[in-house]
Amino acid sequence: MSNTKLILSGLLLWTGIITALHLYLNIDWSAALNDRLPEDKRKFNVAYIPVT
Amino acid sequence: MFQGFPEIKEALISNKMQVAFMVAPMAIALRSQGVPIRIVYLGHRYGSAVVVRKDGPVKTFADMKGRTIAIPSRFSDERLIVFRVMKRFGLTRNDIKMIEMPPADVAGALAAKAIDAFSMGEPYPSQAEMMGIGRILFQARDYWPDYMSCVLVVRQDVIDKRPEAVQVLVDGIARSGAWLDQGRPHREHAADFVARLYFHQNPRLLLWALTNPPDRVMYTPLTPFQRDFDLVRDLMRETGVLDRNIEFNEYVDSRFAEGARFQTAWKYEPGDALSQ
Repeated sequence: MSNTKLILSGLLLWTGIITALHLYLNIDWSAALNDRLPEDKRKFNVAYIPVT
Repeated sequence: MFQGFPEIKEALISNKMQVAFMVAPMAIALRSQGVPIRIVYLGHRYGSAVVVRKDGPVKTFADMKGRTIAIPSRFSDERLIVFRVMKRFGLTRNDIKMIEMPPADVAGALAAKAIDAFSMGEPYPSQAEMMGIGRILFQARDYWPDYMSCVLVVRQDVIDKRPEAVQVLVDGIARSGAWLDQGRPHREHAADFVARLYFHQNPRLLLWALTNPPDRVMYTPLTPFQRDFDLVRDLMRETGVLDRNIEFNEYVDSRFAEGARFQTAWKYEPGDALSQ
């Protein structure tokens, strides 16, 4: 494998790992999916601050 | 979870959030400004206090003259209680400097002597006590017997389109409140899971706030009563944060509280989930 191919493969792998980690760690999937439901089926988003 | 009420206000206006717990005066002010929201229930009763530095110069409220106190927002009951007590002690608004500060910052500010006192909802008074830097000067209920602070606010379009879902939400809060007020074991359990799963705080802190003493914060009755809100509205008018006499029915929709009136506590004992 040439150096160019090796570097490109490495970059692709790195980008893939970073993307997968981002999707796993930074996306609130339950909220994202909830936003796509019909309005009458959505769960409410309830705002609060950590006080009693 | 948000860190301050102004951000909640923006999220509610932009429909990012459909429902919010916010301080009552802010909800009244927003409705007065034409924001389509309604108060449907209370979040709790009592649970706010004025805290001063432990071993500091402020021994009674009269000593606050010329000093600085932090409040969560100019549209907060925690500000109104300070005005109420100032009047009792013959102080005027020029005698005490009030500054707005996110609740999470007040204990640190008190320790650093950036402020002389703060008026906040729990668990921040408890935090200052637990850290050994603060002393409760008075609980809000000492000067305001039916004190309330956070209320449940729902967007008007949600109320119009999904009243049954709003009722389910209010029923759930009513049942949780009744469950919490059934005794210390329930409060201990709530302190544990709410701190870990929702507030991301030390469970000991919430335990302190919910049990020291057990009626420090109460979760019944949560029905919005007109007399309580009239008092808040009048204090807002008096202190210059509301420009008209908005009527109770204009900003409160009490049908959901009425619908939840006969709800009973959840049938759940700590440990039930593990035994299933």
